[in-house]
Amino acid sequence: MKTKGFAAPYVVWMLLFTIAPILLVLCYAFTDSSGQFTLQNFQSFLDPIYIGVLFRSIGMALLCTLICLLVGYPAAYFLANRSFDKKGVLILLFIIPMWMNFLLRTYAWLTLLESGGLIATLVNWVLRLFGAKEEVRLLYSYQAVLMGMVYNYLPFMVLPLYTVLSKMDARIVEAAEDLGANRLQVFLRVTLPLSLPGVFSGVTMVFMPAVTTFVISRLLGGAQFKLFGDLIEQQFLFTGDWNFGSAMSLVMMALLLISMGLMNRFGDKEGGGVF
Amino acid sequence: MSIVESAHLIDLKDLTMVYDAETEALSHLNLYIRKKEFVTLLGPSGCGKTTTLRLIAGFETPSSGQVIFEGKDITHLPPYKRRVNTVFQKYALFPHMNVFENVAFGLRLKKADEKQIRLRVSEMLEMVGLRGFDKRKVDTLSGGQQQRVAIARALANRPEVLLLDEPLGALDLKLRKEMQLELKNMQQQLGITFLYVTHDQEEALSMSDTIVVMKDGLVQQIGTPTDVYNEPKNAFVADFIGESNILPGLMLRDELVRFDGRDFACVDKGFGENKAVDVVVRPEDVKLSAPESGMLRGVVRTVVFKGVHYEMTVKTQGFTWLVHSTLSEPVGAAVGLNIVPFDIHIMQKGD
Repeated sequence: MKTKGFAAPYVVWMLLFTIAPILLVLCYAFTDSSGQFTLQNFQSFLDPIYIGVLFRSIGMALLCTLICLLVGYPAAYFLANRSFDKKGVLILLFIIPMWMNFLLRTYAWLTLLESGGLIATLVNWVLRLFGAKEEVRLLYSYQAVLMGMVYNYLPFMVLPLYTVLSKMDARIVEAAEDLGANRLQVFLRVTLPLSLPGVFSGVTMVFMPAVTTFVISRLLGGAQFKLFGDLIEQQFLFTGDWNFGSAMSLVMMALLLISMGLMNRFGDKEGGGVF
Repeated sequence: MSIVESAHLIDLKDLTMVYDAETEALSHLNLYIRKKEFVTLLGPSGCGKTTTLRLIAGFETPSSGQVIFEGKDITHLPPYKRRVNTVFQKYALFPHMNVFENVAFGLRLKKADEKQIRLRVSEMLEMVGLRGFDKRKVDTLSGGQQQRVAIARALANRPEVLLLDEPLGALDLKLRKEMQLELKNMQQQLGITFLYVTHDQEEALSMSDTIVVMKDGLVQQIGTPTDVYNEPKNAFVADFIGESNILPGLMLRDELVRFDGRDFACVDKGFGENKAVDVVVRPEDVKLSAPESGMLRGVVRTVVFKGVHYEMTVKTQGFTWLVHSTLSEPVGAAVGLNIVPFDIHIMQKGD
């Protein structure tokens, strides 16, 4: 193949910035600070504290994915509806936040949710109307982190779903109606099964970054609310135990590979999706 | 033998469909369809035939007018409550289901029991000649097979009316001919009403009990295939159904018409005296003869061999005639043309 050479820059890039770092992580994970082979790093990971953080991360990521799906599917369904003529504007509204750096957006949430911030003030004002005495703190809570995650990852759910739903053949929906299916039956028996590739893509694209989140949790959750990503960051930047950090990174990577493999198996059965 | 019953199954009353302000896709359509009738809506694309079908299926609601089904107004009834089923142009099979599940779709919605479903589906697949295809994925089937699945799927529900939207359009000629015969046989055996949409006049002529010729949202003529072919109401119908010689003429009086510089005896009357009319003569009705014994004289301009016959153009004094004949004359030969009175069709001058 003559075009083989065109891939060279990409191959070099991959070698330098993907393959080499992974090999480094592998090396660190299986050695101690003096460079001797050891499994100690993985052993210390088995501590309930760390395992607990891992499960919390997975739990939050799953919850975030579920919320994104529940919010994103109806939105994508609505956007893909052909009889709606302002959809260009709405799709743009979904995409515009993605043009901005996600750190900036998360900082914005920080100011909105902190005591005296716009949303915090509003919520407390409403609560006072209903007789609440104490001021409710919104920032630095589980809910704040979840909110930030859903906000940041929702477009990744909506876009693949929108792609699949808008490509769907209107005649197939008509055929189902014609054969006696009401709107709910059409959705359950035709639209939903045919949109599954989009669901799998969306779930993958939200779950992967959600489970490795660390900045959102630090900004909106404060120091006491740690996710697995924060733990790894901490090992590298503050504790300085690169070996333990690498071991945890490997665990995370293995986890992602497994979940991706599972998603792909489901996805393939339905014949692809946006990828 | 016709199996058509006289009772009206569907009445379309003054149906008008406007998509955007300027164009009427359908304009004041009035049509009835009888039980067990094979009705074909025939016309070029954009004539409103598919719109009519979609209004009966319930996919669209007319701008005005009514759809009456067995005496009940169903104009605003959603598609899933109508006792009609559709065979779509591009089949529209469910890609995530196998052949069996596609055909069983309607029965499952009706909550029929599993045994009945199996029986009915295999009966349907047997009828369309797809026995043993149950487990096949629909995208592994050929176009013709997919169309058969679509027909089986639509008929499994035992509809009162089967709506067919150019169902054979995507098939090759040979397969199309076979399917035409099969569809006609199915319709007769099952004794249900077929409403068939096509732009293929030959298809319409060979299958229908009644043909509705449409153009620009307006009905041009409703009649049996022989009526529409032999007695076209206007130049459009004559031109669209089969090939025709259409030329201006002058109706001198009843049973006498002048065209191409000569007076011809004909069988039409009631047009008045000295009225401008359109004259239609089918190419196979123009007979060649020696120049001196022809009613008209001309010179052969082109000859094309068409298999069963030769297609020739003959230039006379005032018109270029299209002539079908099993015998050919060489280009440049002088010939005579003869037309018997019965083969001359007189039409009101169109717009």
